[in-house]
Amino acid sequence: MTSRPLVAVLQFPGSNCEYETASVVRESGMDAAIYRWNQCKELSDSDPDAFILPGGFSFQDRVRAGAVAAKEEIMDLVFNKAQSGKPVLGICNGAQILAESGLVPGWENGRIESALAANHIHGRSGYLSRWVFLRVKKRALRISPWLQMIGSNPIPVPIAHAEGRFVFAEKDSHRVRECTALAYCDENGTETSDYPVNPNGSFMNLAGIMNREGNVLAMMPHPERAFWMWQIPPWIPGTWGDRRTSMNHDPAMAASKGPGALFFRSLANHFMIP
Amino acid sequence: MDLRDKLKKVIRERNLAMTLPEAEKLAGYVGRMPTPLELHLFDTMWSEHCSYKSSKPVLKQLPTQASNVVVGPGEDAGIVRFCTFDGVDWDLVVAHESHNHPSQVLPVEGAATGIGGIVRDVYCMGAKVTGSLDLLRFGDPTGVSGEGARAICRGVVEGIWKYGNALGVPNLGGDTRFHEGYDDNCLVNVVALGFVRHDRIAHSFVPEEAHTEQYVLILAGKPTDDTGFGGATFASADLEDKTEKGAVQVADPFLKRVLSEANRNVLDLLFEKEIPFGFKDLGAGGIACVTSELAAHGGLGIHVDLDKVPISIQGLPPEVIACAETQERYGLAVPESIAQEILDIYNISFELPRLFPGGGASIIGSFTKEPVYRVVHRGIEVAGAPINCITEGIVYEREWKPSPVPLTEPDNRHVDPPSDLKKMLLSLDGASRSPIWSYYDSEVQGTTHFRPGEADACVTVPIKGCKAGLAVSGDGNPWFGQLEPFLAGAHAVGEAVRNVVATGAVPIAATDCLNYGNPEKPDVFWQFRRGVEGIAHACRNLGLESEGEHPLPIVSGNVSFYNQSSSGGSIPPSPIVAVFGRIDDFTRATDLSLKTPGNIIILVGPREDEFGGSLYYRSCLEHSGGKVPLFRGELEYEMARFVLDCTEAGISQSVHDISEGGLALAAVEMALATRKDARRGVILDKGFKDPVFLYSETPGYLIEMSPEDWEGISAKPDFASPIGKVTDNFSISSNNWKLNLSEVLEEYTTLLDRIIWREELSE
Repeated sequence: MTSRPLVAVLQFPGSNCEYETASVVRESGMDAAIYRWNQCKELSDSDPDAFILPGGFSFQDRVRAGAVAAKEEIMDLVFNKAQSGKPVLGICNGAQILAESGLVPGWENGRIESALAANHIHGRSGYLSRWVFLRVKKRALRISPWLQMIGSNPIPVPIAHAEGRFVFAEKDSHRVRECTALAYCDENGTETSDYPVNPNGSFMNLAGIMNREGNVLAMMPHPERAFWMWQIPPWIPGTWGDRRTSMNHDPAMAASKGPGALFFRSLANHFMIP
Repeated sequence: MDLRDKLKKVIRERNLAMTLPEAEKLAGYVGRMPTPLELHLFDTMWSEHCSYKSSKPVLKQLPTQASNVVVGPGEDAGIVRFCTFDGVDWDLVVAHESHNHPSQVLPVEGAATGIGGIVRDVYCMGAKVTGSLDLLRFGDPTGVSGEGARAICRGVVEGIWKYGNALGVPNLGGDTRFHEGYDDNCLVNVVALGFVRHDRIAHSFVPEEAHTEQYVLILAGKPTDDTGFGGATFASADLEDKTEKGAVQVADPFLKRVLSEANRNVLDLLFEKEIPFGFKDLGAGGIACVTSELAAHGGLGIHVDLDKVPISIQGLPPEVIACAETQERYGLAVPESIAQEILDIYNISFELPRLFPGGGASIIGSFTKEPVYRVVHRGIEVAGAPINCITEGIVYEREWKPSPVPLTEPDNRHVDPPSDLKKMLLSLDGASRSPIWSYYDSEVQGTTHFRPGEADACVTVPIKGCKAGLAVSGDGNPWFGQLEPFLAGAHAVGEAVRNVVATGAVPIAATDCLNYGNPEKPDVFWQFRRGVEGIAHACRNLGLESEGEHPLPIVSGNVSFYNQSSSGGSIPPSPIVAVFGRIDDFTRATDLSLKTPGNIIILVGPREDEFGGSLYYRSCLEHSGGKVPLFRGELEYEMARFVLDCTEAGISQSVHDISEGGLALAAVEMALATRKDARRGVILDKGFKDPVFLYSETPGYLIEMSPEDWEGISAKPDFASPIGKVTDNFSISSNNWKLNLSEVLEEYTTLLDRIIWREELSE
């Protein structure tokens, strides 16, 4: 009998989504353990199969969101494991840490090539909590262990951040296309760069980027908050809205999975968990 | 100079709030001229904010006991039983406070520390904090002091999101009202809630065991500075001098988050080892209050050494070290034998000294059998008071004088539903609150089922694997308060109960924050008394959980007096109430969006001609009216029962309570909440343009159900009747008028954003 794969959820000072993230990993048929930032040895000894950097405000967003955490010793270990191909997911503040550590887009080893700037778009600046729709780009769907089960239909998930606007140099557009994993779109899958479909002014509507191999994914939206059907707002449009509406007052809603579950299901599938 | 003169002088020089007789009382306790530290300690303990010296005799009227109450008012937070799951009993912990004065002076910091303080009250009962909400009252952003009101509103919202979002506690909404009576004195009331295992409740006193084993006092968190020195006293004064900014504390949600994680490890260790302990957060009065109260309430003395306190500013006098209200600190009373292990959790495992220079945990005192509160600084005793005087209360019987507001009515009540509804929807009180909520993280922790605005109350699923849902709502109508203080109190309870009931949850507890002007003014004290009477009356009528056997218990709360402007004008009487409910199966919880064309809308609650303070009078007739809707206790109870029964039976497809703007606006709000790709509307059966039918704010509910389900109800109560149908047309209409909602949707959704944040003030 094979043991369940172990997913390490890292806790930095100021992380605040580590418990629910670990919980949805377990609900997806894998083991999860939370490692504090100074538990390098414990993390190394347990040799996890995958890593998640959860949301929050690590180190108080000092300097820039994610900048200090990226320099912690524990990230050296994550960096090496990522290089060796282990799946790594950064959610929200975790995505900011991955960008600051140079793991994404990872064009040049360890160099910081992207930034997550303060939300700024005509219509709304500043911290924003909102449900958005995402679509997975074709190449990402094929290669990323975090995305394979999502398919081509748009999925609703919430965002909650003040600094989530991916910024790249215009000359890098071509390379960016290759590392694009998730893009903001409307409920029909149509991308526009207007608020609120693009909620923060992100370059090329980027909601998530990956490294070249696709094993490292940095995404601003929170899939762990769309893991259960009952977490989806009653007003969500589209096909997920239809499913949500049809489950109104149905006791089965309590155990029914939502679109966010697909990210974790993809990982379990990657590990051949039935 | 005799003692009396010395006391007079010191009160003046130290800018103390205590009166001369109070200072003489203190001198009597210690048997000499009190030390500066003693003076500042008692100045805080006897402030209105901490001592309830004016309000205590009146608050006795509030029902605080019921069969589900575990801890009533008195400790940092109230506790009621919630549910049993998987062999574990879970209790709900709730606290409710005001942070009005600090928020008026420094809105961002004031609102942030408001959350910081209230979540500490829940944490220190041993609970995990799973939600907070803010009940906000601002001045008129379009009025003469509009610029200030808008800036305060923006600042308060910023303080809330910057603190609450970073802390990782979901914001469960609350309410926001605008009224020129708050131009000079905004209200920022804060509620926090959490859950604790019934066998793991922490208490805020040193345990019995400390009589036989040496216990020490550990101070954990931020290094002490001079912020908030005199904060509680400041909160109890009127806002004549806005320069007292030093009395506002500075919050640090980052440190709080790490500290909470460390606390959780510490408490788990103590419970697992079955070591009794005392745990209390540092709020008003800082170290002085926490050390003296932990000892006094456990029947012991304490010896505190201020040289052991980590401080971040050198050279602070002892009374400042002892009484400053530096945020993000906790006091823990534990046996000396376990102290080192606990210090290591804070200082080594969680690296507090690295994360916050000067921060960490240290032993700063030991408990003594000698019943004395003793504080030493640089080898000199700077306080030495008999411990029992710490718990000695102080009470004033305030005078009161009825000052009812004369009733007036407008001369004519013109009715034009499309235009009236538009005016109400696009008013400050009628417009969508989503621009405010969009700054709040309502979903962290992953337990949120209904976010703010999706149902009448937020609903969360707080205990993993358990189907019990929690519903919470906070309310209070200043327009009622201005006209009729008793009904304002009663309806604050009534409205919050209706909001919770509309989702299908049974109210199990309530908290209150009583915001008024200067209690030394007899007319203000009358308003306060009437408000409390109103709350008590409503709670006695709405004991739904015990089927009327017990009242709805008030388990925590706060009184905030001296809410007034420099010109002496008081705020409208503002009793604000939060109600907490439980729904055994959260999948039955009902939101407010209309679902199925062809369904019928049931009106619960006959309409009465009572428009005092109504949105219709204010927005459409520019009149405040006089006759506030009556609070009909028995009917309220029966209506709530009926709504709960319908939800229980699974026949309510959407529910919304009737409040501002009456039945017509309630129906519009149900339509506005629908999916953008499945829009719904309402067609009313009655064609006539009757203001009472359309706009009366007599309490009630609207329920959407199928015609068959309505027919299937065997005993239809006479207070319920069908009044309209759900359509697939995004409008509200009757046979002779119609309002297309797509015309107003955008403006309704963005109105507050445009006025408050973008300062678009056309007209």
